[in-house]
Amino acid sequence: MTWMTIMWPMAIGACVTMGLIQLRVGLRRTPGAAHLLFSLNAIVVAIYSGCELALACADSPVEYLAWLRWLDITAGLQVVTTAAFVWVFFGTGRKWLALLAPGLSCLALIADFLPQPKLVYLQLTGIRKIQTFGGATYTVADGVGNPWNAIFYLGVLLLVVFVADASVTLWRRGSRRRAAVIGGTITFFVLAGGTQAALVDNGIMRTPYLLSFAYLAILVAMGLELSNDVLNAGQLALDLREGERRLALAAEAANLGIWIRDLVRNEIWATDKWRALLGFAKSERIDLDSYLQKLHPEDREAVSQTFTKAVESDGQYETEYRVLLSDGQLRWIASRGRVEFNGAGKPVCVRGVSVDITMRKQAEAESLRQREELAHLSRVMTLSELSGSLAHELNQPLAIILTNAQAAQRLLAQSPPDLAEARDILADIVMEDQRAGEVIRRLRALLKRGETNLQPLSINEVIQDVVRITRSDLIGRGIKLHHACVGHLPRVLGDRIQLQQVLLNLILNACDAMAASPPEGRQLVLATAHRDGTVRVSVSDNGSGLPPDPERVFEPFHTTKKHGLGLGLSICRSIITAHKGRLWAETRGAAGSGATFHIELPAMSEAKP
Amino acid sequence: MSATRGTVFLLDDDPGMLKALARLLKAEGFTVRGFTDAKTFLESYRVENLSCLVLDVAMPELNGLELQQRLTHIGVLLPIVFLTGHGDIPMSVQAIKAGAVDFLTKPVNDADLLRAVRAALKRAAEQRDLIAELASLQQRYSQLTPREREVMEHVVAGKLNKQIAGNLGIGEHTIKVHRARVMEKMGVDSLADLVRAAERLGLGQHSTSPR
Repeated sequence: MTWMTIMWPMAIGACVTMGLIQLRVGLRRTPGAAHLLFSLNAIVVAIYSGCELALACADSPVEYLAWLRWLDITAGLQVVTTAAFVWVFFGTGRKWLALLAPGLSCLALIADFLPQPKLVYLQLTGIRKIQTFGGATYTVADGVGNPWNAIFYLGVLLLVVFVADASVTLWRRGSRRRAAVIGGTITFFVLAGGTQAALVDNGIMRTPYLLSFAYLAILVAMGLELSNDVLNAGQLALDLREGERRLALAAEAANLGIWIRDLVRNEIWATDKWRALLGFAKSERIDLDSYLQKLHPEDREAVSQTFTKAVESDGQYETEYRVLLSDGQLRWIASRGRVEFNGAGKPVCVRGVSVDITMRKQAEAESLRQREELAHLSRVMTLSELSGSLAHELNQPLAIILTNAQAAQRLLAQSPPDLAEARDILADIVMEDQRAGEVIRRLRALLKRGETNLQPLSINEVIQDVVRITRSDLIGRGIKLHHACVGHLPRVLGDRIQLQQVLLNLILNACDAMAASPPEGRQLVLATAHRDGTVRVSVSDNGSGLPPDPERVFEPFHTTKKHGLGLGLSICRSIITAHKGRLWAETRGAAGSGATFHIELPAMSEAKP
Repeated sequence: MSATRGTVFLLDDDPGMLKALARLLKAEGFTVRGFTDAKTFLESYRVENLSCLVLDVAMPELNGLELQQRLTHIGVLLPIVFLTGHGDIPMSVQAIKAGAVDFLTKPVNDADLLRAVRAALKRAAEQRDLIAELASLQQRYSQLTPREREVMEHVVAGKLNKQIAGNLGIGEHTIKVHRARVMEKMGVDSLADLVRAAERLGLGQHSTSPR
């Protein structure tokens, strides 16, 4: 037992240990190619190390040559595995170098499989034992060197070039430590170990081959870096779990249900929260159909179309729908998601979140109901201001009917009675009665407490209706009405009664503003216009004008009237806003007198002739 | 039914109302000329032998009361019966003060309307007679000589022939002759009639006579 018979087995043991550790890691991890290549490299080094020891202990030239052949083969394998490891682990090497370096070394190895000569020696002349310190002896050979051997060393040199080049690229890309540690170690120790081996081959240095120790150093450097990767991955996993926990907490706090729909397998994975929102059991399998089944029948088609559209366009979508719960109650859900596409642009899955918005919907419905209530109240108040004129509107047809009927009585009392005229009179009576009925119908509609009913409307017709109601009021106040209405306007989507109410309010306000004007100056102008996809109605007066900031008139409880609540215009604005339109006021005259109120509503698109 | 019952100008902005009122009045034998606005009425108005105006108060442009003022202003003496949708007392007072015959609230009963129209036409007839009488008096008065006019002035002032002769510086007999001529030319038989005629003509208001 000498130091030699201890050193090499120790090196072998170290290599095998490191190799086995990384083998285990490589088999478990994905991607584990770098670990497996390291492990292979370590085993090769272990074998190489064994060959070195056997060579140092060889007793005959035949034995020496046999072990030398194994040594060459494992050295070649080392070049192969080292190049492969750097290629995989760095990802920055040049392909032609990665192939050329091991290729040359392996090409040189062919010599070892020929009968004569072998790779290292053209001819082995003899071996001798050399005594060294600590009582150890080792074997060295004498012989004529084979020039082919240079090809093998050229391969090794190219390996160093390949590694150095890949390291520089890696350094530039930012992984400086890895480039320095692995690149530096391989470059240095392969150059050092290779030079020593070459000197031994050529008989210049009379020592055993010591390359395995150089490789051991390289393995240690590689192993350190690889273990860093494992450590990082471990930390990453911890961070990820922490992140997941935070996300779950946030989702829980925000009442968010998270789901992922696998479009390939038609399956929906979802959090327990989401399952609870939609009314699914915890372990129930969910697919698109069973999901749609949970929805309110009226919403299924729309939701399913939203999904289809999202897949066809940019993949983003947002939707609101109702879920029909098993106890018959409705739950409103808002859902937004994103479709994910694979490299070929094919949709793979949809990720999304859903949240319960029932409370919000209820609040919205409540506020809508209150707005309708308030609008109705304001309408009733407006009409009560008009009651005198409205009575006149009803009185007029009644008066005509009476006079006609009495005229008919007189005509029929004559002899001969004028039957033709009497017939005309009856026709007129019927017409006037219908006219009275129409007034009553309009009044009832305005007084009704109705839900908002959106339908395509002609704004000019709405104006006509309001003008009919206010006609006698305008005459009574001595106000002259001018129309500046565009004949053909696109329709707007609106609630007829509510829009009438707004116009009624604006007209009556204009009339009130002109109460103090001289009679000849009381002019009311109703104008309509169509521009940029909107329909505009303008009500202009030349009355007392607006405050310096016209917006103030829309504030609740802003009033200039003795008996007004000051809610009319604020309600008008809320009605127009609910119609997705705008209502604003501006001063008309240069001297600050007169006002114009504009209503702008989105025009419905219509097919152009 | 004769056409001599008179012409009724009818003004109402509601064509239905206009037609109904026209029927009623025509059935009673009146000649009816209807208009839906004041402007057209003013443009086509011609003086008729016997006529009145039935006028709706509430009309756009020129309302009933404004039209009444306008007619007075341009000297058209047309008795007016007002019709209104709502019985507005201040408005009716104003209209009656300005000479309206009646102020009726719609719906108006046929009897009330006819009574008012007849009253209006009666007033028109009276006005017509008064105007005719005045015209004949003015005609007679214009035939008097300046001296006769002086004598008449003193006679209606209640002076005796002697006083007149003294005032004018001529003989009492000459006064008697002038006085007889005045009575003859003015077509009166008594002093009382002459005084009434002078009042109609607006004479003598300025000379209150000391006895």
